[in-house]
Amino acid sequence: MALLQIAEPGQSPQPHQRRLAVGIDLGTTNSLVATLRSGLAESLKDTEGETILPSAVRYLPDGRVEVGRAAKAAAAVDPLNTVLSVKRLMGRGIADVKLLGEQLPYRFAEGESHMPFIETVQGPKSPVEVSAEILRVLRRRAEEALGGELVGAVITVPAYFDEAQRQATKDAARLAGLDVLRLLNEPTAAAVAYGLDRGAEGVVAIYDLGGGTFDISILRLTRGVFEVLATGGDSALGGDDFDHAIANWIVEQAGLSADLDPGVQRHLLQLACAAKEALSDSGSVALAYGPWQGELSRERFEALIEPLVARSLKACRRALRDAGIEPQEIAAVVMVGGSTRVPRVRRAAAELFDRQPLTDIDPDQVVAIGAALQADTLAGNGRDGEELLLDVNPLSLGLETMGRLMEKVIPRNTTLPVARAQEFTTYKDGQTAMLIHVLQGERELVKDCRSLARFELRGIPPMVAGAAKIRVTFQVDADGLLNVSARELGSGIEASVQVKPSYGLTDGEIARMLKDSFEYAGGDKAARALREQQVEAQRLLEAVQAALEADGEALLSPAERAAIEAQMQALRGVLDGPDAAVIETHVRHLTQVTDAFAARRLDASVKAALSGRRLNEIEE
Amino acid sequence: MGNASHFALFDLEPDFRLDQDRLAVRYRELVRRVHPDRFAGAPEREQRLALEEAARLNEAYQTLKSPSQRARYLLSLQGEELSQETTVQDPAFLMQQMELREELQELQDSADLAGVARFKRRLVQDQEQLNEGFAACWADPRRRDEAERLARRMQFLDKLFAEVRQLEERLDD
Repeated sequence: MALLQIAEPGQSPQPHQRRLAVGIDLGTTNSLVATLRSGLAESLKDTEGETILPSAVRYLPDGRVEVGRAAKAAAAVDPLNTVLSVKRLMGRGIADVKLLGEQLPYRFAEGESHMPFIETVQGPKSPVEVSAEILRVLRRRAEEALGGELVGAVITVPAYFDEAQRQATKDAARLAGLDVLRLLNEPTAAAVAYGLDRGAEGVVAIYDLGGGTFDISILRLTRGVFEVLATGGDSALGGDDFDHAIANWIVEQAGLSADLDPGVQRHLLQLACAAKEALSDSGSVALAYGPWQGELSRERFEALIEPLVARSLKACRRALRDAGIEPQEIAAVVMVGGSTRVPRVRRAAAELFDRQPLTDIDPDQVVAIGAALQADTLAGNGRDGEELLLDVNPLSLGLETMGRLMEKVIPRNTTLPVARAQEFTTYKDGQTAMLIHVLQGERELVKDCRSLARFELRGIPPMVAGAAKIRVTFQVDADGLLNVSARELGSGIEASVQVKPSYGLTDGEIARMLKDSFEYAGGDKAARALREQQVEAQRLLEAVQAALEADGEALLSPAERAAIEAQMQALRGVLDGPDAAVIETHVRHLTQVTDAFAARRLDASVKAALSGRRLNEIEE
Repeated sequence: MGNASHFALFDLEPDFRLDQDRLAVRYRELVRRVHPDRFAGAPEREQRLALEEAARLNEAYQTLKSPSQRARYLLSLQGEELSQETTVQDPAFLMQQMELREELQELQDSADLAGVARFKRRLVQDQEQLNEGFAACWADPRRRDEAERLARRMQFLDKLFAEVRQLEERLDD
């Protein structure tokens, strides 16, 4: 079928040198790491043979940090220093956290960025730092299992995660010393894991009910291209809520006071969780707390969670409407997340979509496995029939306009990446500055939307009201991260922000954490900087070499090619030297001389795609 | 690719009648090549170029996929943007719109989901008629006024569709 063979840019020139890359499912309750070995994706085990790492982090008085089962087990005895379900706090402000609607046992302190810091015996810890502890354990596990340093990782996030939550996830990876190849939406990863790219064509629904988040995604699959048609969900709905429903029932039945201390709360939740799991297989379960004894039937349990299940179905119907798809048009339904083991949940999805959902792959592992497949592709290991994932932005992005109204610039469910501009003008004579207030959300009023950033465009030449033309451009990259710039067209003055979400970390906080992080301690820091520069340089050299071999002859004059090769030689000359700054300078020089070449290659590749099409049409 | 028109980007002739399948196939072929994921290991400059190209491609695809946006875009290719003034010069249509909105209000008051479905089917028919009408006249410069009127009607209908969806959402609560 391929009449024109064109090397993909960025692909490794030596395919036999496998680059180690992993997929990480950083979950609310559990986290996993998976990778591709001899063509098969598998979750990696720890030394005790366990794949699942509970997303629990405990800070001990002696400075040690426990992550996983040990920490989870200690939650009831040391609730203040043990953080569970930290994902629910990611990218949230203190006010949001209080609105989460449940009693959290932690003591919060506010950081300089209004991010909630959890008070522990080791001092205040941000959700980003806590998540980084989990990622660090998974990274070490992968490096030990694979015997080498990782090129990078694909980390999954709920499709419904907003800007702040995505940025917080990236910050956590950075703290853990992981290079993020891509943030991938969890449902999309699940579709990849089921290999829905191979064979099946059509529209699929991914119903993902995890510990703390619910996602519904409607994807169209066509010849290996995944197009997200719509995503929706509820970032505060999950199996944890089932546990809370049971725990509240116990409190009620046992006649306990509603004001429980954190240790009792934890204990009740553990009891509830065990009951929930037992009810997936049996019709009823016996419960005891203190002197109280009781029995919970599956029917009673299903009645308790019915409002929660109904919330998930409502989100499904909304996503279907957004996608312009009728339920019976869905070709397959994939179940993801441990909570989809609950029979009532499976039945509800089957009824709504009128077909039996797919449940063959362990719903706890399916996301990590999909992420591993995608990580392998992005690392340049070039699987056959590699797929492309086209994501959408989950929430609308816009600006504040007159009257404290939100003006949408990029509506929700727009395919990424996207760049869109809108023109505004001044409303007062002689106005020389304009405040750009960037918002996210679906509501009309500014106060109902999430504020992402504010910045000012200054130095507008004084004019009568309405004469200035200010173009504001929104650009969202493939990870769903936003850049906003503003430009006055007459004078050309500009201002821009890389949206640093209001509840992200400030640079000061990041700097402190990087300093605290043991991987950057003391003399290590310089060594690490050098190593990073060397890896970067090596990567660039390989990419340019591959590009030259593929298209050098066709797209470069002999003089241009010689200039590039001379710069490559120069970079190779300093690569093993001790000075990171010198390597960096040479990397910059090489990048500069290859600029035009890169642009030409992209252009040629697009033209080739079109002419390849024409040849195919003739052939048919 | 420079400033080529959205149609040229997909190697298509500017026309209102468009083979949607063909457009989708070409979009996927092109986006496979320029999507930033293809440049995950490439130097920053290439990543930035890919981001820009992919964003442009997405914009072009979205514009051509939607009949009302495609109509508007075709008119702008002929030299002039469609003016923002709405249906003031189109009283018959304005009347009809008001009636439709009243009907929608009644559907909301009676929470009639089946009625909403029937209403939607009627809008789809109206939409198809507008599309036929526009296809027949847009290329003729002498019928520019008529084409503009139809393009505006399309946009109005789009908005009405959005309102129907919001109503469905409210009725779902």
